Amino acid sequence: MDPSALPVAWANYLSIAGFLLLGVLVWLIPRRLVMSEAPDNARWRDIRLWASVLIVIQLLIYAVFA
Amino acid sequence: MHPLDLVIVVGYLGLITFVGLRLSGRVKSAQDFFLAGRSLTWWIIGLSIIGTNIGANSYVGAAGNAYTVGVAQANFEWIGAIPAMIVASLIFIPLYWKAGVYSIPEYLGLRYNQAVRVTAALITSIVAVFAIGVALWALALTLQTYLGWPIWVGIMVTGTIVGAYSIAGGLAAVAFTDMFQVCIMFAGGLVIVGLGIAETGGFTGFATTLTEENPNHLQAYLPADHESFPWPGVILGLGVVLSPAYWCAGQAILQRSLGARSQWDASAGMMFGAFAKTFVPLLIVFPGLLALVMHAQIEYPDQALAWVIKNVLPPGVSGLMFIAIIAALQSSIDSGLNSTSLMITRDIRHVLIPNVDQNKDLKVGRMLTLVLLLMAMGIAPLVAEMGGIYTFIQTILSLFQGPMLALLLLGAFTKRATPMAGLWTLISGVAVAMACYFAGMNMLYVAFTTFVYALIALWVLSALTPQNEALDFNKLTYTPWSRD
Repeated sequence: MDPSALPVAWANYLSIAGFLLLGVLVWLIPRRLVMSEAPDNARWRDIRLWASVLIVIQLLIYAVFA
Repeated sequence: MHPLDLVIVVGYLGLITFVGLRLSGRVKSAQDFFLAGRSLTWWIIGLSIIGTNIGANSYVGAAGNAYTVGVAQANFEWIGAIPAMIVASLIFIPLYWKAGVYSIPEYLGLRYNQAVRVTAALITSIVAVFAIGVALWALALTLQTYLGWPIWVGIMVTGTIVGAYSIAGGLAAVAFTDMFQVCIMFAGGLVIVGLGIAETGGFTGFATTLTEENPNHLQAYLPADHESFPWPGVILGLGVVLSPAYWCAGQAILQRSLGARSQWDASAGMMFGAFAKTFVPLLIVFPGLLALVMHAQIEYPDQALAWVIKNVLPPGVSGLMFIAIIAALQSSIDSGLNSTSLMITRDIRHVLIPNVDQNKDLKVGRMLTLVLLLMAMGIAPLVAEMGGIYTFIQTILSLFQGPMLALLLLGAFTKRATPMAGLWTLISGVAVAMACYFAGMNMLYVAFTTFVYALIALWVLSALTPQNEALDFNKLTYTPWSRD
């Protein structure tokens, strides 16, 4: 198979799949590690949530610019 | 230049110098100088990371590339940054924090041996001096375009201003000025987006004109046989190798994370930086597209941003945008100076000079910052002979990012990698990268090929060489599910 002939659409599919996988992996990290040395236990300080929002934005980007 | 623009530019330069010098009073020790006394909060870290990242290799060059290839250029900010920033935030920053290091080479030294530490620091420092030289040249070129200053005057003025606050205030001054500079960049960038969209008949008009004449310019990826950015190369070379190596192992980037007041601030700072990074294409890619839509009369794509500033922005605002470019380049120069000075002071000097007096680290660090700046100022005028800004830095980086990333990954996630295997993989990996590069391989494929080579070499060589049984693997490897 000639790699230079691979369809461009595959790139977007791969990117979206990669971000979805990352979204799952993020939540496998224990909360105690993510919250280590946090000033308080507030929900918004869980940076796995921040990561999830970022991933959703990326999914939208690669869906729109397909 | 309009007098109002000139007032804004002079005011900015004065203010940035004042803020930087004011922070010099806080520097009492080497930790204050190199790690801001471990006092930085998450939002300062995040903005400073973006300030360091947007520099010569993006602001001017990326607008030019966007003019040529379109939105695909933004992959350097999206797939080529965000996943790696998330991984850096959640995995590598906690790992470095647990190891208690000042630098990434120091971590590699603890995980492998001091030879790996020195080699990594040396290679990174050499590249950094060139990168600072490129940034100085780009800045001088910008000053020549707008103010008519000769290149050498631009280099001298910029070097003096950046040098003054970097040498006096260390990382704290660098981080605070970076933060300020990023705010200016976003303000200037958003004004360009607003005026540009209005000028071209709204977003629909802009997109229609763009895609009518350039059908691929709103596609995130280019065909697999594209000469510069083939999509498999972008995903494998940029997404899998160059980006993780830059965001998880780049000293200039991670130094402000290591200067955080807590591990949470360090991780949150990187994640906050990733949010800002998502919107960076508005600042550096959009102007290139705008120049295309407005049929800019330019000779080279790299002139797209300058054309937009001159022809779209009114007086006062163009001054703001002008200082946004200065700010972008300055923030890369100051960060490069501080991190390179750290690596030479601690990772090279501490290892190579027996019984070194660590009380002199602050003085040595400041002196080295000055020497590095002078070296970069010497290199800057020669950069024009070396090709496009962006390609130049990426080419250098791609030569050793693959082996560095392989060492970091196997070192952080396994107990298998041995010290001698690490050293020989790093050295042979750079040689393989150079061979691939001189054989004419695309830089993105060079990065991926050398990464795969280094992973295999490190795995195999580790089976043949002895492990250092004294290593504290609990501290040096990432074990999220252990109870330690």
